[in-house]
Amino acid sequence: MLIADARGLVVRCNDAAVPVLPAAAPGAPLADVVPGWLRDAHAGLCSPGPHTAPDSGRAPAGEIGGRFYEAHPTVRDDGSVAWWLVDDTDHRLVREALRMEQERGAFLAKASNVLLSSLNLARCMDATAQMAAESLADAALVIAPVRGQRLPVVTCLRGGEPETSTVTADPDAVPGLGEALRGFPPVPSRWIDPSAAPAWMVPEGIGPVGSIVITPLPGHGVPAGALILLRRAEAAAFTEEEEVFARLFAARAGAGMSAARLYAEQSSISDLLMRELLPPALHQISGVDFAGGYRPSADHERIGGDFYDVHPATVEGEPSLVLLGDVCGKGLEAAVLTGRIRNTLHALLPLADDHQRMLSLLNTSMLSSHHTRFATMVLASAVRRGSTVDLKLTSGGHPSPLIVRADGTVEEAETHGTLIGAIPTVTAATVSTSLAPGESCVLYTDGITEAKGGPMGDDLFGEERLKRALAGCAGMPAEGIVEHVQMLAAQWLNDRPHDDMAVVVISAPRTHHLSAVNGHTRGRYTA
Amino acid sequence: MTTHPHHHLQLTTVDGEDSVRIELHGDLDYDNADLLVQEATDRLAARPALTDLHLLCADLGAVDSMGLCALLMIARRTAEAGVRLHLDDRPARLERLLTLTGTLGHLTAPPPPRSSATSAAEESAGAARPTGPDVTT
Repeated sequence: MLIADARGLVVRCNDAAVPVLPAAAPGAPLADVVPGWLRDAHAGLCSPGPHTAPDSGRAPAGEIGGRFYEAHPTVRDDGSVAWWLVDDTDHRLVREALRMEQERGAFLAKASNVLLSSLNLARCMDATAQMAAESLADAALVIAPVRGQRLPVVTCLRGGEPETSTVTADPDAVPGLGEALRGFPPVPSRWIDPSAAPAWMVPEGIGPVGSIVITPLPGHGVPAGALILLRRAEAAAFTEEEEVFARLFAARAGAGMSAARLYAEQSSISDLLMRELLPPALHQISGVDFAGGYRPSADHERIGGDFYDVHPATVEGEPSLVLLGDVCGKGLEAAVLTGRIRNTLHALLPLADDHQRMLSLLNTSMLSSHHTRFATMVLASAVRRGSTVDLKLTSGGHPSPLIVRADGTVEEAETHGTLIGAIPTVTAATVSTSLAPGESCVLYTDGITEAKGGPMGDDLFGEERLKRALAGCAGMPAEGIVEHVQMLAAQWLNDRPHDDMAVVVISAPRTHHLSAVNGHTRGRYTA
Repeated sequence: MTTHPHHHLQLTTVDGEDSVRIELHGDLDYDNADLLVQEATDRLAARPALTDLHLLCADLGAVDSMGLCALLMIARRTAEAGVRLHLDDRPARLERLLTLTGTLGHLTAPPPPRSSATSAAEESAGAARPTGPDVTT
């Protein structure tokens, strides 16, 4: 407690106040012994005229000798004022700590949000480096797990943009880095000598480095990399508390990066599957034109339950085998079954001249006690004989192939059989026919004929409409027919949802015809 | 009698003396084929002495490949249980689908001892495609 009179002279200073204000002897001017904020408060209180009541607001407060005090005045009868000094330092510290914790909590929440909203690994690394450089250090490096001797590194200076680079370096040469990349707990910052940091770790423009923190980025079961924080020499070194906080941040960043990496792996796996399962691009094989088109039910899925393949004969002069089919169900599940069927049929190619046997063996291999998922399909063997193409067609429960004659007649191939994969024994009838130059055989899946649309929106495209459309396709090249059918179906659908749609066209080309003329073959065309 | 409301498919089950009749209203497709399999399987399990399972198809709408898959599964279950499956009042579209896929005989075959293999063969050999001009052979 300190008493000062209205003239600003110290009247008395109690024992407790002496250590705080050692110069406050009675009679000394207040201005000389107390800091400015207390002197001003005293002057304000003693000045004549209206003044704010001392209890109306916060008591004056400020620093005295490195600690923090609140000063509560009591005006005495003689006009002097007793200042009761209350040490507020601890309260302040607690409040300051609370504010920092709140800031850190908000920062971590923001970090989680930013990192989990992206499943792109490169963006996650950038965001981690940038956030760390803004809030934790003068510069930050994010290092992804090592591949060989190459370290993928993202560097970010405070206020700068993250930069990606690949560094060829031995992480074990940097104390703490090798351990961090293996997921061991971080070594304390004070053990890392900033001057020993290799050049690649010190970004340009940061100047001499004062302190370094290296902390692992823990991932889902495996280390996701390491985070390196750098501070300039003139900045305060990392406190133990800050290192702990850096680890908390690293835990979130690591989880985000790890999720991004797992997602990237998964999407590369499905990309790989997609590539394997996508229908092939078709072209002319041994004088027979093949063309195919496929539109999956969901345009973003790219693969589905319809499939087709063309297997060229291993021996020239033997027929090529075309297969087109439809697996029940849709999406990835159907695509996996499709893949199995295509593989099995591939293995059965040596039996390609006996369609029934192929289908029967395929049926046996697909039978399962767990489900009755089935496929319907058409097998077609096509071989060029002179200028015509000889065809053998077999349907396993599939819509019959349509044959477009040169005069515009559309015939339905008389083949029928049992669907494949659900019934222990299957039968199928094979038909043979020939295509003259310019004639085509159209294999399609029911996604085309069952496309719902048209003027009223709920009519099926139907077989009759398809036949009429094909009648106009007489003499068209295989690719032209595929595109025409796909276009008509798309127009019919008019953006309505639809099933998978696949078309394969086998044509006897006209262009090579003249070279194969023997005087007896049907039709002498020039394209 | 129990009724299962569903957006697309509604099943009405009527228990008879030796038989169960399930009336199908709506589409039997990808989204609700499981519903019918579940209902039929439950009935078969609940009534071991059953001789006949009738699926009334008069009000059946579209049947897609998953719907057919469900019918094939029910046929497998009825065969195992020694129950004869009937697909009654088949609309033309269902008839066409079953003929095209060569499954009609299999689905409606009497349960073993007569094996499904012979029925499938008979069906396939006997099925004639009513439309379409002849194919050059």
